[in-house]
Amino acid sequence: MTIASFHSPSRRSAIGRLASLRVQPTIVLSIAIVALMIAWSITPGLFTNHDPINGVPAHKLLAPSAENWFGTDHLGRDLYTRVVYGTSSSVSSALIAVVIGVVAGGLIGLLAGFFGGWVDIVFARMVDVLLAIPKFLLAVIVVTAIGFDTTNAAIATGVSAVGLFARVMRSEVIKTRQATFVESSFLLGGSRWHILWRHVFPNASRSVLPLAVLQFGDSILVIAGLAFLGYGDPPPASDWGLLISIGKDYLKWPWLVYAPAFVTIATVLSVNRISRWLRKTD
Amino acid sequence: MATQDRLTAPIQSVKFGAPKPQLLVPLLRTEGLSVSYGPNQVVTDVSFDLNPGKSLALIGESGSGKSTIARAVLRLLPSGGRATGRVEFDGQDVLGLSERRFRPLRGRVIGFVPQDPGNSLNPVRTIGVQAMEAAALLDEPSKAIRKELILETFAQVGLDNPRRVYDSYPHQLSGGMLQRVLIGLAVLPRPMLLVADEPTSALDVTIQKRILDLLSRLQRDLDISLLLITHDLAIAAERADSLVVLKNGLVQEAGRTAAVFSSPKSAYAKKLHADVPALNPDRYARLRDPGFRLLDTGAGKPPKIEVSAVTKRFSVDGKVLTAVDNLSFSVPAGTTHALVGESGSGKTTTIRLLLGLEEPDSGKIVVAGQQLPERSSASLRGVWRHLQLVYQNPFTSLDPTWKVEQLVREPLDRFKIGTPGERVEIVREALANVGLGEHLFSRKPGALSGGQRQRVAIARSLVLKPDVIVLDEPTSALDVSVQADIVEVLLSLQARFGLTYVFVSHDLALVRQLAHTVSVMQRGRIVEHGTVSSIFDNPQQPYTRSLLDSIPSAASGIARLPQPRARRILTKEKIA
Amino acid sequence: MSKAYLNYAAKRLIQAAVVILLAYVFTFVVVSILPGDPITNVLNNPQNGFTPDEINEIITAQGLDKPIPVQLWTALSGFLTGDLGLSMRTNRPVATLIAEVLPSTLVLASAGLVVALLLAAVIAYGTQFLPKRFGQGLLRGFPSLFLSVPNFVIGLVLIHLFGFQLGIFRVIEPNSFWATLFAAVALGIPISAQIAEVLIANLDHESGQEYAAVARGRGLGQMRLFTKHLLKPSSLPVITVIALTIGELLGGSLITETVFGRTGLGSLVQRSVSSQDLPVLQAVVSLAAVVFVLVNLIADLAYPLLDPRVKLIGPSARRPATADEGFTDLSKAVTP
Repeated sequence: MTIASFHSPSRRSAIGRLASLRVQPTIVLSIAIVALMIAWSITPGLFTNHDPINGVPAHKLLAPSAENWFGTDHLGRDLYTRVVYGTSSSVSSALIAVVIGVVAGGLIGLLAGFFGGWVDIVFARMVDVLLAIPKFLLAVIVVTAIGFDTTNAAIATGVSAVGLFARVMRSEVIKTRQATFVESSFLLGGSRWHILWRHVFPNASRSVLPLAVLQFGDSILVIAGLAFLGYGDPPPASDWGLLISIGKDYLKWPWLVYAPAFVTIATVLSVNRISRWLRKTD
Repeated sequence: MATQDRLTAPIQSVKFGAPKPQLLVPLLRTEGLSVSYGPNQVVTDVSFDLNPGKSLALIGESGSGKSTIARAVLRLLPSGGRATGRVEFDGQDVLGLSERRFRPLRGRVIGFVPQDPGNSLNPVRTIGVQAMEAAALLDEPSKAIRKELILETFAQVGLDNPRRVYDSYPHQLSGGMLQRVLIGLAVLPRPMLLVADEPTSALDVTIQKRILDLLSRLQRDLDISLLLITHDLAIAAERADSLVVLKNGLVQEAGRTAAVFSSPKSAYAKKLHADVPALNPDRYARLRDPGFRLLDTGAGKPPKIEVSAVTKRFSVDGKVLTAVDNLSFSVPAGTTHALVGESGSGKTTTIRLLLGLEEPDSGKIVVAGQQLPERSSASLRGVWRHLQLVYQNPFTSLDPTWKVEQLVREPLDRFKIGTPGERVEIVREALANVGLGEHLFSRKPGALSGGQRQRVAIARSLVLKPDVIVLDEPTSALDVSVQADIVEVLLSLQARFGLTYVFVSHDLALVRQLAHTVSVMQRGRIVEHGTVSSIFDNPQQPYTRSLLDSIPSAASGIARLPQPRARRILTKEKIA
Repeated sequence: MSKAYLNYAAKRLIQAAVVILLAYVFTFVVVSILPGDPITNVLNNPQNGFTPDEINEIITAQGLDKPIPVQLWTALSGFLTGDLGLSMRTNRPVATLIAEVLPSTLVLASAGLVVALLLAAVIAYGTQFLPKRFGQGLLRGFPSLFLSVPNFVIGLVLIHLFGFQLGIFRVIEPNSFWATLFAAVALGIPISAQIAEVLIANLDHESGQEYAAVARGRGLGQMRLFTKHLLKPSSLPVITVIALTIGELLGGSLITETVFGRTGLGSLVQRSVSSQDLPVLQAVVSLAAVVFVLVNLIADLAYPLLDPRVKLIGPSARRPATADEGFTDLSKAVTP
């Protein structure tokens, strides 16, 4: 439901339409959730008074309550606090992964698509190789090769996303390169580099932005998966995937799984929603 | 189904010529029809009558709501569309019917001929399968006979090899053939009303005429009423008994064709009438005269463009295709030369050859006294300083991420013309010359109308002060009133700066309005060339004549009308 | 079989072979050149208890004393002749290790694919029959939700609800029917989302096409329109998507097998990672790439034969599109 239905027909300007899109409640909620996650990562101490590392053994495995929103774990630590303190590394590692994917993949795609010929052939086969290895398996062998910690897991996730970005960027670049306005600029004296940077790149990037946002959500999942298998930082770190992994041994106290899972899902869902919205308003 | 019988029974009786007083009950009547999508009302309070066996045209430019009305009548509005008011079919309101009760009317009683034949048949199913769906509406149990009927209808709509068509997939047929198929499918169940939504706008001109002739013939032979939706006033005047002129969803004028046509009352109908090239061949005579004087006195020598014996072949799938065959023409300075042809005539290749984007296999091209260098040579840039192109579609020829001012300034920056301060001045001047106000300078193309975008494109090529501008169907993506504005801009620029134009078009009426000399192209060759008056008044080649014949002429349509008998005025004027 | 098709098939075949070879080289390079040198780490780790003699023996057996290009050449020629080398952890042939666990993973992956297809069909085709206001929005929300849930969470939830709470299966019998079924559900749900997204996008695209309106103008009802016109053109491109999800199935089984305690390729990878058994890892990754490339090759070769819209131009007539890519209009991708 959009507020647009309350507008009179006379108000049909582009700005009006944008404004009406912007007030979709799910978008507002999604942005709020992502904002909260960013706040949790920057200043976790503002959101909780408990200690994320040292618990009170007497209070172990308590059910969620007003005092412990997500309950407590097997060492008597407040789970909500653990989740809040784990946000920083979960979110920032996803960011690293996206940056690696976008920059490396985008560059490969841009060059391959724009120059074509043997450049394209070489890059296209490279990308085919990256895409042929299952994404998660690729991340696993890269993280195995460079060592188990969260930053390396992020790098591995980024590497596994390079192929996707390269392919999308390449096809966007090829599409843009064939656009009439590119030929027009060429006829009006534009050099190859001018056209590449001022016309092709900005236009092709427009559809990569929502994809990058989407990939951010996906990276959170992949990194959580790696952490779940124990390829991230070891405890007492509290990455979301690690929390769930610890919780799986205490399924009698299901909040130990459900609470961090809920936060992960809410974050990824919000990010995906924002990505879709960006794509639509493009 | 009892409901269905009740619905169709009275209709059948009308159809089979019961002595019903036909004048009292129009076949189709809309009363106060309004359509809205959410908060946006796109059609407001439209009323008209269409009597059995007659034809009515809804005329308007894009955004006029004409197609929406057609879809509302068929109840095929896209989701979110809501129609209010009354749509009566044979005296019964059908707008209020449930989908289940209305559906039997579709196809069987109301046939639909769509706008774009290329997208109007399912691409993954054969024509035959889809024809069978239409044939299923006939009360004919035998499948073999239904197939015979289909093949018969295909022959009737002028398809040469009905059996082959039956087994084909849509992509294996040309646009004209597909439109014949679609018309065939629409008339196969013998509907009483045919709704044709711009049935020819996606087709070449000579095919347009044949399709319109076919529709007229079927309408007469099968006694079908025709609701024709078109943007082309000349076509409407030629083909319809009565007209409804629409703008922004409102009726501007309505009435008998002859009346609306010979003496339009509303300002909009008047403007529309004045803007249609086919009806106003001499509209720009004053602006065009300097060019004719140059031609007569020979002052235009030496020519700005000289193309001699140019041939260009492409090889496609191992087959050699001659796109341009021994092409020669020259354009005197300060005049407009038109290249006229249908799709596949080699117009586009000619443009690319002129601009050096393709290299001729033989022959030579001289622009402003300088022979065109090889493709991808750096000196081509020097040629483009003097030779510019305005593209057909302003919706794709401007980078959507740039602002108007940047767009117009781009060529100056690239060719390093003047100081930055001077460039700003040149941009302002060029935009003023094409009639764009300063408030638009910082907009991006997305926030401009089609006409405004094309003005920006013209300004962009203008800032380089070229000698020659190649105009590639510069108005074919635009509405007719916008087209008139753009033509006016182009001609006054020519008169002011002595520009030389190569004008490429399929629209002969438009060519007649603005060109000085013409070359008619067919399959890569020039079949006839000469001055505008010699080509239009005294064509020598049969192909030229068939092209000229396909210009809709209102005169022939009005002559067709039974003048002496007093005719009931079919439509009610209702201007909101 | 037109000449254009054979031409296309030949090019596509060569391309697939090149990609498989490059994928092998790529994994080899990743595991042997990247910093950290996991092999010497493992061998020199005192916890593993190798004596210097044993270390030398392993190094010679694995050919680790030779220069890297030579090692690559040996490994590659072994790979091409089906010799995948010896596991460093168990000293048994890698091919045997894989053959032992492969059936279990194949069962899980194919069951997962079936679940994914069924679920995607129910969701996507369901949107065509539910009214806009009631239920359709909910169905359309499912793929997005499914894509936001980590698949190990789905597994844990299923184990918690159906294993612990309802007692339908016992976690200690991971190969029982119900345990396998729920593992397949956990594996299939995220994949169903990708397929359903593409299906829904195609259905929306096709039903917005002019031909759908024209067919309705011919008197067709919603049901006939769907079965006669929309089903085929919207479902055909999904072949491509299914082929692309093979990678997800293999990658996802890694986690799902861990969660459900199944033995399979996934658990083999897990064990090889923790013991840094590189020959096994190298073999499994290459095998996954081979499977992926072959399945996609088959899809690419079959597609032009099934969809009359496809006209073959150049070696890559079809640009693959995945749900997570989702930005390229698929029907455009197949209609050049």
